[in-house]
Amino acid sequence: MRPIALQISALSKLAVLDLYRRKDLAVVFVLGGVILAPLLFFTPFGVSTASRYTNELALLLVWLFSAVIGLGVSARLFPPEFESRTIYPLLSKPVSRGTVLAGKYLGALAASLSALAVFYAAYGLLAGVRQGVWFPLIFWQALFLHAAFMVVVTALSLLGSLTLTASANLTMCGLLTVGMLVFGQRLPELATAQPVPGKWVLYAIHWIAPHLEFFDLRQRLVHEWPPIGWGVCVAVWLYALCYAAACLALASVVLRRKKF
Amino acid sequence: MEALIMEEVVKAFGVVRAVDGLSLSVQQGEILGFLGANGAGKTTSIKMLLGFFRPDRGRVEVLGKDPCDPAARIKIGFMPETAYYYPFLNVRELLALYGGLCGMGRESIARRTETLIPRVGLSEAGKRPLRTYSKGMLQRAGIAQALLHDPDLLILDEPFTGLDPLARIQLRDLILDLRRQGKTVFFSSHELSEAELICDRVAILRQGRLVSCGSVRELAGDGGQNLERIFLKVLGVDAQGGRLA
Repeated sequence: MRPIALQISALSKLAVLDLYRRKDLAVVFVLGGVILAPLLFFTPFGVSTASRYTNELALLLVWLFSAVIGLGVSARLFPPEFESRTIYPLLSKPVSRGTVLAGKYLGALAASLSALAVFYAAYGLLAGVRQGVWFPLIFWQALFLHAAFMVVVTALSLLGSLTLTASANLTMCGLLTVGMLVFGQRLPELATAQPVPGKWVLYAIHWIAPHLEFFDLRQRLVHEWPPIGWGVCVAVWLYALCYAAACLALASVVLRRKKF
Repeated sequence: MEALIMEEVVKAFGVVRAVDGLSLSVQQGEILGFLGANGAGKTTSIKMLLGFFRPDRGRVEVLGKDPCDPAARIKIGFMPETAYYYPFLNVRELLALYGGLCGMGRESIARRTETLIPRVGLSEAGKRPLRTYSKGMLQRAGIAQALLHDPDLLILDEPFTGLDPLARIQLRDLILDLRRQGKTVFFSSHELSEAELICDRVAILRQGRLVSCGSVRELAGDGGQNLERIFLKVLGVDAQGGRLA
């Protein structure tokens, strides 16, 4: 392996070990399992169509837990390095700050995606057992776009981790994520109805904040709607990659200018 | 040949000049003790030597290169003053991480790890997570990571802090052994007795300025004073901390 690949691999492994050796991830997995399993086997009022709502609730929890893991892992990438001064021996090695950033981001992303894969595998298996439909195409598309969501939120939280404490960053990114998932689609509509300057603020959010609702195929998955076109999936992934690249470029500037 | 050069280096943080016109050079194979009271500018100087930030004015060169270039740091080993490492790793994993950052392959990391862990006295604790280590053990792990890639220049920030007497003797022997191998050692310290025992030269810093530099014998002059007396005299204070007339 080339030295830069060795460096990125070492840093990524650190982020993955950090996640998997903490007890909080185990708590999320256990909690997820405890909540998901009864939901997926529960048929409200004995009506099979009502089970869609439990599926919807289960998927909401998958989104919630995956967002907590994605944001939580990347929010903790830099603050402990600064607080415990491990950044000094790290940067004293022949490694550029850009490589440190890339390694940490890829590690956080790998850790988050592995957790996401576990959640989707559990959902897919339980939904398959109950409905008799095993991993339909829309399931894979939902997973594919959810992974793009993780690409964006980990980059966003990584950017915040360079300037904010882990808890402040987690709170801010968490609010932004929930806000955009709930109101993202309706921002232009809401902006039009507002007087100035609220209108400008909402338009600014519309253009600057990540449109996380693009990645959400929960409704299609729950109601077994037909799959979306792969061209749309690719376009949404390109949007995710561009947004993450912008966050990482900004993070790189912040890290380069940071004095330790 | 000089292992490191600082020429008229100035670094200010706001209105405070942490380093003020510092000029210093260290020859290859030399041990230099970098001494000064708290806030004298030792750590700021070390950070510039490691390329953490650039000086406002002046020139810093380490092993013939600009330390802000990552490639220049390939032959530098650094041990920070407060040695906290990732608490969820054990010392072998810590060395694997830093070895990877130095671009070392898995086999060479394993080889160096097998040599270094007994050398720093961590054989018994090799598999324990670092969160269970005492401060002295963390210092030892810090020394191991600094030596991992067999650097030509070692920069140690307060290396004797927190070490028990046995570990101090071992570290002292290790530093002298490194000099025998032709390595350069630059260390900051408050431990004047240690500096006196192992340094070829000492440099004393006051308020960011170099006030004295030379071998202990040179600085003592005909008076035959020990380093503690020299230090107090150079800083212009008496043993009770009062300013000398």
